[in-house]
Amino acid sequence: MLLVIDHHNGVPAYRQIMDQIKLQIAAGVLPAGTEMVSTRSLSAELSLNPMTISKAYGLLEREGVLERRRGQTLVVRALAAGEQQSSKLEPLRQHLASAAVLARQLGISREQALKLFRETLSSSQ
Amino acid sequence: MKSADTAPAPLVAERLTKTYSDKNALDGIDLSVPADHVVGLLGRNGAGKTTLLQLAAGILLPTSGSCRTLGQRSDLLDTPQLSRLGLVPQEGRFIEWMTAAQHLDFTASFYPTWDRDLQRRLVGILEVPLGQKIAHLSTGDRQKVGILLGVCHRPALLLLDEPMSSLDPIARARMLDVLLERLRDDGCTVVISSHILNDVEKIVDWVVALDAGRVTENAPFDELQENFAEWTVTSTNGGLPAAFAEPFVLRHQGDARQALLRVRTADPEAAARFAAAHHVQISTRPLNLDEMFPLLIAQRRDAQ
Repeated sequence: MLLVIDHHNGVPAYRQIMDQIKLQIAAGVLPAGTEMVSTRSLSAELSLNPMTISKAYGLLEREGVLERRRGQTLVVRALAAGEQQSSKLEPLRQHLASAAVLARQLGISREQALKLFRETLSSSQ
Repeated sequence: MKSADTAPAPLVAERLTKTYSDKNALDGIDLSVPADHVVGLLGRNGAGKTTLLQLAAGILLPTSGSCRTLGQRSDLLDTPQLSRLGLVPQEGRFIEWMTAAQHLDFTASFYPTWDRDLQRRLVGILEVPLGQKIAHLSTGDRQKVGILLGVCHRPALLLLDEPMSSLDPIARARMLDVLLERLRDDGCTVVISSHILNDVEKIVDWVVALDAGRVTENAPFDELQENFAEWTVTSTNGGLPAAFAEPFVLRHQGDARQALLRVRTADPEAAARFAAAHHVQISTRPLNLDEMFPLLIAQRRDAQ
C-alpha cells in the first residue's frame, strides 16, 4: 500500500490516509480482502504519530470501508455492486465540485465547461 | 495503546503564574496536557514556553498557582517522578570536561531504567561523536547529547524545549523518527516547543499556543486543521462589503469583487450559507500550521 502524506497542505494526515485508501479501493488497487498494514508499521513507514493511523483506520472501519477479520486483522470489505459504483463516483464528484466553482469564477458557461470536460476525457484516452 | 481519555493528565497547571522582577512570564494559566499525545507548545519569543516547561520540570518555582507533573506538585518532585520525567532544555548544561560517552555513563548511573540498547542505537542514528569532550562539541552535537540525556531512561513524560533548533534537516528528520519510535514503544506523552513549525506539523496531534504568558489555544491539531480555512470569495454581483460581520471571519483582505478570508468554523454548512447570504462564490482551502500560527496566538486574548 503506497500512501503519500503532505504534511504542509493543511489537510489532517488521518484524512489524507482515508482518502487515499478509499481511492485505491475504488481504483481496484486494493481489492476486497486485502490486509491493512499494522498501525505500528504504517506509523514507522510514514513517520506519523500512531494515533493518527489508528484514527484513520477506526473511521474507515466505522464507515464500512474496512472490517475486522478474525478478531484483529483489518481488511478491505467487499462492496455490493451499487456501493462499488458510488465509491468510484465520489472522488470524481469532489474534484468536479472545485472545478465547477472555478468555472463560475471565470465566467465559463455551462455548455463551454461540459464541452471542455468531454474533450479532456477523449484526449486522455 | 492506552486510552487517552482515561489516563490522568501528566501535566496540569492551575492559575500558574511566574513573575520575573515586574514582568509576568506566565499570567495565571490553566492548562491540562492530555496523556499519550504529542503536544506542540507554540508561541513567539517571550510567550512563556520555556518558563512553562521549566516550571513543569521543577527547575523553576511558581510565583503563585500550581503545576502538577505526573500527579505530584512540580516543586516537590522526588525520585519516583523525576525518573519518569525527561527534559531536553534548549541549551543543555553539561559537565564540560567529560567526553560525550563519559557523560552518558554518568547520567545513566542515576536512572535504574536507563536503556543501554536505546542509547547505542540513538548514538548511531543521530551520529553523536562519543569520544569528544563536551566542551569541544558543535552546538548541534551538544543538542544531540542533550536529547540522549533526556530520552534514554524512557520517560513517561518528555519535555522538549526547542530540541531541534541547531540540528540540520537530516538530523531533524531522524530526531522526529526517534520521537515517533518512543511513542510506539512506550506510549509516552511529549510536549515539544518549537519555532520550526514545518517539523512540529509532522508529529504533533495536539496544539497549545501561548501568547504573552496566556494560553490562547488548546485543541487537537486535527480539529484546528478542519476548522481553519482560507476562503477565496468572489462576488457574483460586484458588491462585496468592506468587512463581514460573521464572527468566524478572522482576517479579511480584498476589494469589492474578490476577497481572501481567513475563517474558523466547525460548521460544514458555513460556506454554503455565507455564499447564499452575500451572493458570492467561495473556494476554500485548509491552512497549514505556518498560516494558522498568527491566528492561534492572536485570538481570545481577552477571553481567557
